[in-house]
Order: sequence, then structure tokens, then C-alpha cells
Amino acid sequence: MGEHILSWMTFFPVIGAAVIAFIPSERKEIIKTVAAAAAAVPLILAVQLFVNFDRGTAAFQFVEHYTWIKSFNIEYYMGIDGLSVPMVLLTALLSFLCIIASWNISKATKGYFALFLILEAAMIGVFCALDFFLFYLFWELMLLPMYFLIGIWGGPRREYAAIKFFLYTLAGSVLMLLAMIAFYLNVQDPNTGGHTFNMLFMMDQANHSAWLKATDIRHLLWLGLFIGFAIKVPIFPFHTWLPDAHVEAPTAVSVILAGVLLKMGTYGLLRISYPILPDAAVWFSFTLAIFGAINILYGAYCAMAQTDMKKLVAYSSISHMGYVLLGMSAMTSAGINGAVLQMFNHGTITAMMFLCVGVIYDRAHHREINGFGGLGLQMPLYTSVFSFALFAAIGLPGLSGFVSEAMIFIGVFPVYRTVAIISALGIIIGAAYVLWMLQRVFLGPKNEKYDDLPDISGREMFTLVPIGILVLLLGIYPMPVLDLMKVSLNNLIKVVAG
Amino acid sequence: MNDLAIPDFGREIAALLPFLIVAGGGLLVMVTDALVKTLRKDHLSYLVLLVLLSVIVVQTTSGTPEGPVLNGLLLLGNFSRFFTYLFVVIGVLTTIFATGIFDRDGNYRPEFYPLLLFAILGMMVLAAANDLLTVYLGLETMSLATYVLAGGVRGNAPSSEAGFKYLMLGGFSSAFFLMGVAFVYGACGGTGFDQIAAALHSGSAPMPFLTLGTGLMLVGFGFKVAMVPFHMWTPDVYDGAPAYVTGFMATAIKAAGFAILLRFVLLTEPMLAFAWYPVLTVLAVLTMSLGNIVALVQGNIKRMLAWSSIAHAGYLLLGIVAILAPALGGPEMMARAKGIVEEGGAALLFYLVGYALMNLAAFGIINVMGTEPGVDGDQISRYAGLSRRQPVAAATLAVAMLSLAGIPPMVGFMAKFYIFSVVVKAGLIPLAIIGVINSLISVYYYLRVIVVMYMHDTAEDSYQGTEWVSVAAAGLLAFLIIYLGVMPEAFHRGAEIVFRQISF
Repeated sequence: MGEHILSWMTFFPVIGAAVIAFIPSERKEIIKTVAAAAAAVPLILAVQLFVNFDRGTAAFQFVEHYTWIKSFNIEYYMGIDGLSVPMVLLTALLSFLCIIASWNISKATKGYFALFLILEAAMIGVFCALDFFLFYLFWELMLLPMYFLIGIWGGPRREYAAIKFFLYTLAGSVLMLLAMIAFYLNVQDPNTGGHTFNMLFMMDQANHSAWLKATDIRHLLWLGLFIGFAIKVPIFPFHTWLPDAHVEAPTAVSVILAGVLLKMGTYGLLRISYPILPDAAVWFSFTLAIFGAINILYGAYCAMAQTDMKKLVAYSSISHMGYVLLGMSAMTSAGINGAVLQMFNHGTITAMMFLCVGVIYDRAHHREINGFGGLGLQMPLYTSVFSFALFAAIGLPGLSGFVSEAMIFIGVFPVYRTVAIISALGIIIGAAYVLWMLQRVFLGPKNEKYDDLPDISGREMFTLVPIGILVLLLGIYPMPVLDLMKVSLNNLIKVVAG
Repeated sequence: MNDLAIPDFGREIAALLPFLIVAGGGLLVMVTDALVKTLRKDHLSYLVLLVLLSVIVVQTTSGTPEGPVLNGLLLLGNFSRFFTYLFVVIGVLTTIFATGIFDRDGNYRPEFYPLLLFAILGMMVLAAANDLLTVYLGLETMSLATYVLAGGVRGNAPSSEAGFKYLMLGGFSSAFFLMGVAFVYGACGGTGFDQIAAALHSGSAPMPFLTLGTGLMLVGFGFKVAMVPFHMWTPDVYDGAPAYVTGFMATAIKAAGFAILLRFVLLTEPMLAFAWYPVLTVLAVLTMSLGNIVALVQGNIKRMLAWSSIAHAGYLLLGIVAILAPALGGPEMMARAKGIVEEGGAALLFYLVGYALMNLAAFGIINVMGTEPGVDGDQISRYAGLSRRQPVAAATLAVAMLSLAGIPPMVGFMAKFYIFSVVVKAGLIPLAIIGVINSLISVYYYLRVIVVMYMHDTAEDSYQGTEWVSVAAAGLLAFLIIYLGVMPEAFHRGAEIVFRQISF
């Protein structure tokens, strides 16, 4: 497995899904166990990656490079650098925990776990692909299981949410497809002289054709890619699919959606748009900062207005992804490192929040914030876990969210002072909606209606505690993750900002 | 045709063997059905399968001669061979699907089998045609057989309506085509492709006649491939005909139509480009857009697929437009023309095969789901909860729909990717964008079928039965759809080789 560690991580879940397909659907326990095992392997390999990853180089590591479709020069080209490693680790961890968190799924168990594993494969593939075509393929492949997971196992309006999610994301990827074909036809493979999908060749400006060197064209391509990725992040005004999808999706799918899928938008910007079109990135950076600020404030205000707990968390995701955009726009070391760290931290924190919402939804069968009250007395352990997650979300010092947000503001302040000051308001609003929710759900007199709600179970704790420990550790000492990405990201800044 | 050379009979017979087998097989099946009273009706299907398989065997094993035969009426080579394989495979699957339905309903249509073989014969002639008269022969043999196939369910009004409508409009289109042949003959002094090419090359042919003639012929081809505005028959005929015939029409006739259209376009390329390029461009865009938009509101799955087949004709026409584009693009384009023509042709061939796979998979399932004649079994709402009643059938139909929508890793995606990248390469970026937007629109209606199958609860009156052979055949197609989507290289390479041989 040493040689092809990335391929094993990507395709082992597919093998798991294939095995599940042959297990009779009544044997639910076996199906779940196989799924957990199939998701555990990438997690173990992820630990191996974490240990063996060379932190001193910006070059791609664990590279696998094969010809795939020769007539179009499409390659099976996988590799990771400091930008992708944190995302791969996050994906492997969350996927495994989500399989455990889905233990209660009783409707069509077989299909659920098979699709979940395919989803995991596609996600890891997106983060490892270094061939634009391969990247696009994994990106699209991710859509299908997600669509079914929302559409079959979702809430009452699942059909609407699933189609909306699918069409929005597909509209974005279609723009990406066009930009991809444009790059393909205008980037020269320096070895053969033909067209290429190789991202590394695309990043080398010397390989660009005269057409691709024209400023207008570069701006146009940047915008095409940007809209494609913006839908995924999602950036206002392309965000409307997100609340619908989150509210209807089952808990574990929400976790993946917020924890991993949203990051693909910002990952795409950093992996593809920034290095291939660095001048356009600089040209767009102020606008990106504005978009970031809008996301932060708009997401936070919308979150404040929500009465559905899950919708609140969904809007808080929009707000928190705004910080990532803000950090990216600065193009300073602190800003970009902070942004990628925020991607990782938001993945863990929002996963905790969604899992916690799922815990109460499983018991009370509703998520109305105003329908609860006094849960702190009824479910003390649950209250403390959820509060921990919520405090991490508002960026309490000592927890991981604080570190990345602080880094982002340190990075942005010297570049876009006004935008940074306005965005900082988001932290206050964030504290407001979180604390207000906390108060309405957990504080106050004990609610008779919920006297028989059991506290959080061992299995649920098993999914929450590892993430909680990570949040706490990275809050105190963020270097393990920062070390991973520092060199690659500083190299990226050098490429972009010169 | 003036200097009739003494033909080498041995070579001619060997070359024509696949055609003779299909023709003779058709007659044999007909005679067997009429004379052998003791024969069980379903044994006819084995006879048909035997005929079709022997065509494959003969074509694969004996190195059939290449080049013109019958004094240049037919041109045999990789191109005609490629299409023969395609038609025969479609024929095999259609036979399987049809027989499944006959068995289930206990209602045999023995005339179905010889007609199917004759239709295939017409298509083979069409793909090999090297003379406008052979084109007409092939076109009519194919069409006459399909008129009866579509309308031949006795006592079924929609089927009769479909057959009659197809016959009337098909007759019109044949008349247009023949008129076009007459003009071209007048302009070029011959009907052979070689003579036309020579006349075009020397520039001796009068342009007005040629323009008019080729335009009229395009009407005829446009009718067969369901190009807007000659598409009116498609929804009614696809809906009225039994599903196994619809599947055959949607795949084989479309492939045959595009085979001859491709030959025709390559033959008359520079001239056609000047006269008809703008028109074809507009019609391609209209064909895609109208097909996709109208498909959005269809409640009947066969009608939906009819409109979707119009839309797919539009994508294929994009490929034709891309092939024509370099002729207009000035010297810089002309330098790249050969590459674009070759890639465009290969993309079209790949698309036709992919399209055949996914449409046959879809119609194979729809065929099984249909109920007795007269009951409208094709409403999409009747597929509710299919995933729980028949997981294999539902998964197959889902794969077919996703592939039609062009979502990776299905073959439909690769096919569209090949076409659109040729279109971009030919410098027609706005057309590529329109095409991509169109395929985005189409996702909605394809997904709706999946939504109904997977996300709705079982409806009361949904059909519960199943035909294992058909479902298994369709499932195999679904597997091929994914396989070719992931591993398109070898096949695409093959399509390139096939195409390179004919591009003149």
C-alpha cells in the first residue's frame, strides 16, 4: 500500500461499496460493519500520510502518474501537497465518524452505506487529483451519491432540496468544464508540444498560448471558474441551495456537506484559479474580500433570524466560509495559512454542531429552537458537548476556531483595513446568535415535555469526542496542521503575489 | 456508370455476403413462418438471432474485400463495417426485447422479425452507399420496414396512428430527397459520389442547382434524424409505436441517418459549407433547444425520450457543424481542417454508439414496464417506487438517464465531451456554450425519472411483473455505459481509425 497510498485511500471505499452490494439487504449489522471497516482503512492511511508527509517541501508527494486517455492526453495523476493534505485528513476522519453516526439509518441501509462510501471516494479523489480532467470527474462523481443521499434519506422537502442542490452545483461545474476545455486547448505540454490537462503544466505560465495570455480572456476564465467554485462554497448570492440541502439532509450527510464539500469551493480556488491565473487572482482580490465580508455578515444575520437549529448552523457555515474567502483575498502568509486552517477548523467544528443537532433531532423529532428550553437540566452531558462546539464556533480563545480567525484578521488587516474592520462585526453577531440559541435551548426552567429524553449515548459520544479533542488541541497548539501546509502555501503566495 | 467493367463475381459476392445473409435471412424467416406450421412462434426469434450473429461472424472472420463494389454503387470499408456491427447489435437487442414482450403477452407478431431484418438491410446499404441511388434504395428499404414496424400492432389505435403519420411524413421527405437528387444529377451529370466529387472539384457544376439540390436532400436526411423543423412526427411516432420498436428507431435509424449525413457532408463539404452552414448552425441550435425545453414538460416517458432524441440530434448536428466550420475559417483554419474533420467524425461515431447504448438500455426497461395495449403504461408517475420493487431495472434505467444527461462517469459524458471539444477546437465557442447550457437543462427532466423511481412511494397501479432476459440485457448495457465512460480510449481510437479511411 506504500506505493499507491492515495489510490488506496480513494478506491478502498469503492471496494467496500462493491462488497456491500453483494450482502443481502436484511443483514444490516454486517452492512454497517463492512462500511465502517471500508471507511477505517482510509483513516488509517491518512494517519500514515500525516506521519510520512515531508513538511519541508512545496513539491507534490505520494505522486502517482499514469496515462489514461491517450488521445486527449488525460492522465491518472494523483499527488498531494500542503494544501491538500489537511483536506484529505479531514475527509477521511469525517467520513469514518459519519458512518458511525449513521448507525440508526433503517431505511434502505444497503444503498445508504454504499452511496456514502462512493461519496467518500469521490471526495478524496477531488483533493488528490492533479489532472484537471480527473479533478472534474471526481467533482462530478461526488454529485450523484450526494443527490441520492439527500433525495432518498432526507426530510419532508428532500426532493426539492436534492434537485436544487444538483442543478446549482452542476451549473457551476459546467462553467468549470468550459474553462477546463479552454485551458486544455491553450496550454502546451512542454515535453510533447500537445494539449494537456496536467495542472502542473497549466500552472507554469510559460506553457500558456498567446490567446491565454490576453488579460480579458484570463479575467473571463477566472470569472467562469470563480462562479463554479462560488456555488460550492457557497458565496452570496449563489448560496440559496445550502440551507435547503442542509435542512433536508440526514445528519451525517449534513456533516459531510458542511465539513468537506463546502471546502472544495475554496480548495478549487486555491488549487486551480490562484496558481493558473495569478494575475487575475490579484485583479479580483479586493472583490473577493468584499464577497468574504458579505458572506460573513449576511450569513451571520440570517443565522440570527432562524428558528430551526439546523438552518442556523447552515447559515453559520456561510458566515464562517466568508472568513476563508477574506483570508484568501489578502494574499499574505498569515491570511492564506489562516484561510486553509479555517477550512480545516470549520470542518471539524461544524461537524460537531451538526452531529449535536442530529442527537437532539433523533430524540425530540424536531429542531425548533423555541420549542426547547431547560434541556441543560435534562441532558447535562449533551449540553456541555454542544456548548463546547458552539463556543468553538464563535471563536473562543483556546479552541481552534479562534486561531484561524485571528490569523485571517492579522493577514487581512494591513491589506484591506476597512473590509477587515467591517468583517470583524461578524464575530459579534456570531456570538449573538450562538449565545441566544444556547439560552433558548438549554437554559431556563426544565421543560416537562422532555422529561423522558435520554442523555447522549456512548456511540454518539464516540463520534463527537475525537473531533472535540482535535478542536481543543489545535486551539492550544495549531502547529501540527500549520506545519503541514506552511511551505506549500508560502510557495503559492510567492507564485501569486510575486 | 457508362463504362461498365466486367465485374469479378467472386469478389463481389464475398464483399456482399453480409448484405446477402441479412436479405436471405429475412426471406427465410418469412417463409419459415408461413410454411412450417408445427414451429413454435418463439423459435423465429432464434432464427433471427442466428442470422444476425452469422453476419457478425462472416464480417469478423472472412476479410471481406474493401473498396467500391457493384460498379461503385456501394463502398465497403471500415466505415460500413462499423455501422453494420452497430446495426446488428441493435437488432439483436431489439429481438430480445420484442420477444420478451411477445412471450409475456402471448401475442406474437411474426411479421416483426423479417421486417426488422429488412430494416437492418436498408441501414447497412445506407451506411455503405456510394451513389445517390443506393442512398435512396437504402433509405426506402429501411423506412418502409419501419413504417410497418411502428404501425403494425393490430387493433391498437395509437400504433396505427403512429405508423400512418410516419408513412405520410416519410413519404413527403422521400419526395424532397428525390427532388434533390434530381437537381444534383442535373448539376453534376451523375449520381455516383465520385462523379459528384469530381464535378464539385472542377467547379463545372452550376451553383444554384447544387444549392437547391443539396438543400432538398438535407430536408430528407433532417427528417430521418429528427432535425427541427422536420421533427414533428417524432413524439407521436415514438409514443405510439411499441417500446421495442421505438428503441430500435431511436438508435438504429438515428445512427443510419447520421452515417449517410456524415458521408454526404464530407462529400460536398466546401460547397455545402458556403450554402448551408449558417442554416445548419441555426437548425442545430434550434434542435437542441426545442428538444430539451419541450422534454421538460412531458409526463410520458416515451414522449420525453422522443424530445430528448431530438435534443441529441442537435448535439450530433453540432459535430457536423464543427466539421463544416473550417471550410469557412480562412487559411489559418484550413491548416487545422483535417484534424478537426477527423476528430469531429470520430466524436460523432463515438456519440452514436454511446447514444445507442443508453437509449437501448432505457427502452429495454420501458418496454418491460409497459402494460397491455390500450393502457397507458408509460406515464412517468407509474414508475414510482420502482427502486424497491425492481432494483436492477431501476438502477439500469437510472444509469441510462444519467448517461443521457451527460454526467460522468457514464459514456454520455465522454461522448458530449468529445463533441464539445471539437466544437471549441473549430472556434465555435458560443455554440459550445449553448450546447453545454442545453445539456444542463436536460439534466432536470432526466433526473425527474430517477426522483420518481427512487424517492416516491410505490403507486397502487404500478406494473409489478418482470422479464428477466430483457432486464439482464439492459443491465449489461448499463455496465457497458459505465465501462465506456471510464475507459473510452480504445473505442475512441477505433472510431478515429474507422473515420480516417473515408474522409476525402
